[in-house]
Amino acid sequence: MSATEALIDVRNVTRHYQRGPDEIHALDDLTLSIPTGHFVALMGPSGSGKSTLLNLISGIDRPSSGDVVVAGQTLNDLSEDELAKWRARHVGLIFQFFNLIPVLSARENVALPLLLTDLSKAEQGERARTALRVVGLEDRMDHFPATLSGGEQQRVAIARAVVTDPDLIVADEPTGDLDARNAEAILDLLRALKTSFGKTIVMVTHDPRALRFVDDAHHLDKGVLLDDEAAARASEALQASLGSAPPTEAVES
Amino acid sequence: MSYTRLVIANLLRNKLRTAFTGGAITLAVVLVCLLLTMPAALDRLLENAASDVRISVHHKAGLVYSMPESFTRKVRAVDGVEAAVGMVWYGGAFEESGKVTFPNFAVEAEHLGAVYPDYPIEPEQLADFVRYRDGAIVGRQTMDKYDWDLGDRIALTSTIWPVNLDFRIVGVIEDPQAPSLWFSREYLDQALEAQLGEGLGVVGTIWVRAAAPELVGPIMQTVDEMSRNSEAETASETEKSFFTNFFGSLQGFVQIILVVTGLVTLCIIFIAANTASMNVRERSGEIAVLKAIGFARRSIFGALFGEAVLVSTLAGVLGLGLAIGLTTYLRSFANGGGLGPMSGFVLTGPVLVQGLFLSLFIGMLAGVVPSVGAARKPVVEALREIF
Repeated sequence: MSATEALIDVRNVTRHYQRGPDEIHALDDLTLSIPTGHFVALMGPSGSGKSTLLNLISGIDRPSSGDVVVAGQTLNDLSEDELAKWRARHVGLIFQFFNLIPVLSARENVALPLLLTDLSKAEQGERARTALRVVGLEDRMDHFPATLSGGEQQRVAIARAVVTDPDLIVADEPTGDLDARNAEAILDLLRALKTSFGKTIVMVTHDPRALRFVDDAHHLDKGVLLDDEAAARASEALQASLGSAPPTEAVES
Repeated sequence: MSYTRLVIANLLRNKLRTAFTGGAITLAVVLVCLLLTMPAALDRLLENAASDVRISVHHKAGLVYSMPESFTRKVRAVDGVEAAVGMVWYGGAFEESGKVTFPNFAVEAEHLGAVYPDYPIEPEQLADFVRYRDGAIVGRQTMDKYDWDLGDRIALTSTIWPVNLDFRIVGVIEDPQAPSLWFSREYLDQALEAQLGEGLGVVGTIWVRAAAPELVGPIMQTVDEMSRNSEAETASETEKSFFTNFFGSLQGFVQIILVVTGLVTLCIIFIAANTASMNVRERSGEIAVLKAIGFARRSIFGALFGEAVLVSTLAGVLGLGLAIGLTTYLRSFANGGGLGPMSGFVLTGPVLVQGLFLSLFIGMLAGVVPSVGAARKPVVEALREIF
């Protein structure tokens, strides 16, 4: 797949769901294309539909109508178990609250997705070690999550996301639970994954700092993508808020 | 990394909770195994104790009522009867507490050997029993319990008769589960004569040995016919039937305990199921993430179900070990004379298998509902609950 070819094609997607007596219109006839090897941010206020879009792209959720095609696979056609299999092979997931298994070491947490592969135990261990080296935590691989800082835990989570060498990495507010210094380190690391390994990364974020690291930012509001003019205004507002954000120290990833 | 490591790590997450859950299952397995040995032990006891040619003749109204002494002679004259011996309960207490701790009977010494030729008693000892008026034959269980030896003299205080007798041990029933003490009826008869001016004159139970198994039925019928319309109508029964009735109340007790144990087991299933549900609920976030990164429903179910089954099986194995230890201890204690029929209680292979299956069953039943629930929940719903 060439760098200019679209890895993700979201075509006329609508997603409605029921919450109690109310029907929520999370996405409304949304169309979006994300090229291979791009680092893309999905931005917007709470309830704008960005997390729903991320769930659809990563095969966690299904659209009410429209098509989601990722790496040539139309996700609508897959059953729940097929989707799980597909996610295991093609998607690396990063969450806001890290969500590591507290009773497993960093290395074991990273190796978890490899349980779904045919790799031998030795190969799994080697892969996990490599992934931890990429995120700069090789020397802490036998530590348990409770003994790691928030930033380190998120880096373990990133290593877990890349250990299977997926086509796509999706991150749901990966800096949302981190201080400014660690947030920049994580964004830097994600950028490095894109530039060094050619990974396609889609990230939901409220963090205006993210604009400095991504190739594209798509702004959503009330379930629709904003047009260029509205997006520019939103971007300017974010940049302005970045200017008023507290200064951050330079961080080595 | 392996599924086994994942399951074990999760079990060790809350060690105290796992220990308590396992402890409850262990206790259930120990209880059930111990109780399952009781009916089998009683059956075995009856098989070992009962002869197919021995008959018990006693008062129709019950064992506490007596029959005229002369009736023994009449029974002895019935066609097909090879030998008959009359017995009278002495109710002698050896210990200072005055409790009767082993059965003891006055018997017709000269007829005893002919009724019990299958009992392991040396012929010379039987001869001594007839020869010495104060001689006693004692079961090995009681001999060991009180550390008696052949030739020892012992004194028993009767709880029934107004005489206290002392005996010389002249013979031993060499069966580790035999508790009885037999002594000469003549000895008690003479002591009562001296004390009260009149002898025994009655018999409590007459044990009859038929010449052949097929004669048992006709003999019982004839004996009961002989006593009909007398003051002491008899009820004859086979030795097996006698012991079955004797232990009947114990069997009823066993059944009650089995019902209670079943209920306790049910409670433990609920407790284990509740614990499994709590485990799943507390880890809903982790389970959602596992699903999101590609773990299929079957894998999630397997890991959670495996936890419940593993803890219950390990607890079951521990329970079996404890049950084996306990029954071994009970047997050694019983052989010392403490538990009588319980000395036959052995944890057999089938009981062990049943115990193991019980623990598996508890684990499966406790684990299946929360595991299915967690596995079936759509990933997006699971994630929405935690984020």
